[in-house]
Amino acid sequence: MIQLKNLSKIFRTELIETHALRSIELQVKEGEFVALTGPSGSGKSTLLNVLGTLEHFDEGDYLLDGQSVKGLSDSALSKLRNEKIGFIFQGFNLIKDYSLQDNIELPLRYRGIAASERKRRAEQALELVGLAARRDYHPSQLSGGQQQRVAIARAIAGQPRILLADEPTGNLDSLMARQVMELLEKINQDGCTILMVTHDPDQARRAGRQVQIVDGQLSDAAMYDPLAVKRA
Amino acid sequence: MEQFLYYLKVSWISIKRAPLPYALTIFILSLGLGVFFANATFYYQLNSDPLPHKSDKLFFPMTLMVPYECADCPPPRVLSYANVQKLSQSDIPTAKVGMYSADGYLRLDTKQAPTPVSIRMTQPDFFRMFEVPLLHGSIWADDKARLELILAKQTAEKMFGHSDVVGEKILLDDRHFTVVAVLDDWQMLPRLYDANNRAHLSEADQVYMPLETGYDFNYMSNRQSQTFDDTDYRQLATQGRTGALNQLQFWVQLDTEAQQQAYRQFMSNLVADEQKAGRHPSAPNNQLVPMRNIVSYFGGESADIKAFALVTLLFLGVCLFNASHLSLNRYISNQYEFSLRRALGASRGQLQQQMLADVLLMATFCCAGGLLIAWGGVSLLNFLWPANSLFGRWDLTLLLLLLVLTFTMSYLVTLYPSLRASFGGLNQQLKE
Repeated sequence: MIQLKNLSKIFRTELIETHALRSIELQVKEGEFVALTGPSGSGKSTLLNVLGTLEHFDEGDYLLDGQSVKGLSDSALSKLRNEKIGFIFQGFNLIKDYSLQDNIELPLRYRGIAASERKRRAEQALELVGLAARRDYHPSQLSGGQQQRVAIARAIAGQPRILLADEPTGNLDSLMARQVMELLEKINQDGCTILMVTHDPDQARRAGRQVQIVDGQLSDAAMYDPLAVKRA
Repeated sequence: MEQFLYYLKVSWISIKRAPLPYALTIFILSLGLGVFFANATFYYQLNSDPLPHKSDKLFFPMTLMVPYECADCPPPRVLSYANVQKLSQSDIPTAKVGMYSADGYLRLDTKQAPTPVSIRMTQPDFFRMFEVPLLHGSIWADDKARLELILAKQTAEKMFGHSDVVGEKILLDDRHFTVVAVLDDWQMLPRLYDANNRAHLSEADQVYMPLETGYDFNYMSNRQSQTFDDTDYRQLATQGRTGALNQLQFWVQLDTEAQQQAYRQFMSNLVADEQKAGRHPSAPNNQLVPMRNIVSYFGGESADIKAFALVTLLFLGVCLFNASHLSLNRYISNQYEFSLRRALGASRGQLQQQMLADVLLMATFCCAGGLLIAWGGVSLLNFLWPANSLFGRWDLTLLLLLLVLTFTMSYLVTLYPSLRASFGGLNQQLKE
């Protein structure tokens, strides 16, 4: 489903070049739950952003469903993000003046989905995260864990095939973090591919596969290419 | 439509987040638009063409047929009765009219207090040439003198209490006249047929009298007259018709280029013949000025209004700059939301539609604010310069112009900030 070929990303300033990602080779199959781990500044979030087409890459290629995203226009990338990818951010990134319902409907609006269908999907997503009764609340009326569940509901309401989660439990206490992880596992069991950046080894272990990044490089080929294990 | 209403809702929510900076942006832009529009009102009205389909076909002929020698002299702005007669002899023009204005007093009988009125001594072609609307009665059949008046509607109502007064008797300077026609509401703005001495800024005349009757009764022009010989102006009926007492305006209608060429040739021949006959010694200097250029030919353009126009345009530029700066700050503070929307799948095109909704709201507020300030500005200018008050009026074209200008300004104020906000790096914004 996801294939990165010799992918590199360089951040440039007037004075220096920083190689955030170096020659990344990665394959992720449909339905996998992959944890991206590594020390701070190793390039995990950059990799996640490249996968989410929030950032461009400089070298190599990125194939999504066998199709290269290289050279796609801005509107094509927007469409791809909207239809195939759901995002969960560490800081939740909910719009504070919108109700939960409106927040969840946001990506659906840009897809041109009719109002009744948007409402149905948003209610369904809120039901799944256990917040159906609070759909008219605003984010500020919720706890951090609840807000992250709303963010998850927003990500899954569009029925994406890939869910990209950047330290989704980073701002939560352990109880809420566990609830969020359970939710992600459930979503994964329903067939959604998940790539999750995390610092927490326990959470990484709960994922189906761990990929470690150090200094912008994958640290162990066997970890990022399950086929390689089989071939061996 | 549902999506556009949503965009409007998003704009409104965004305004509510920081209402004061937004209100300040609206105020600054409204101030610039209002001040500019107040001045533009006068500029537009003063420079408008009251007969756009005809103003290049109506001409003011002038010749240097005066009884003295003068090199490089411009022809007089007013013509003598004799010269008008000579210039009228041609059949080339579709219509021709000599005229001037004078003051008089009107009353129904000698017991009534007289009412001062402005009188235009003119000929029947005047009404056809300048498309004067007729409410009751009919215009004089020919140019001959007669004791018949045509009244403006307002004058008829003021004197008689109603407008249908055809056949009624009235005293003008204590001479008995019969009313033969009443004009409908009419005010040519600017009054280009009377551009001498900036009279184009004045209101329309109240009473219309045959030109020949005006001369018969020794009515002198109240605008501009020049004497180039020893004509006794008190003997207008006799000496005024033969001497070099210039007080007439003369207009001809020349519909085609061929007519215009032919009339120019006619004027040249006339001036040459008159010179041969020894009636004037000067080298020919003939002018045939189209109506749309008559104000500038007479140097009657208002320098004040032009200067104000420039100043208010610069002021609008300053307001635009400041409003853009405020708008940029507002958008930059909302950049996170733009990035979030893009991350969730909004294309730049969809964000630009959002911007258009912002523009619509801003333009609506600015239009209301601008109109209010412009109304105040026009009222102030009318108070300070009452002579120009005829031109402090809005019409549909002017209001549409304001609407277009407001949308353009609102778009400019929103364009760069929204582009900056929507083209920013996605990842960085979402991390902050």
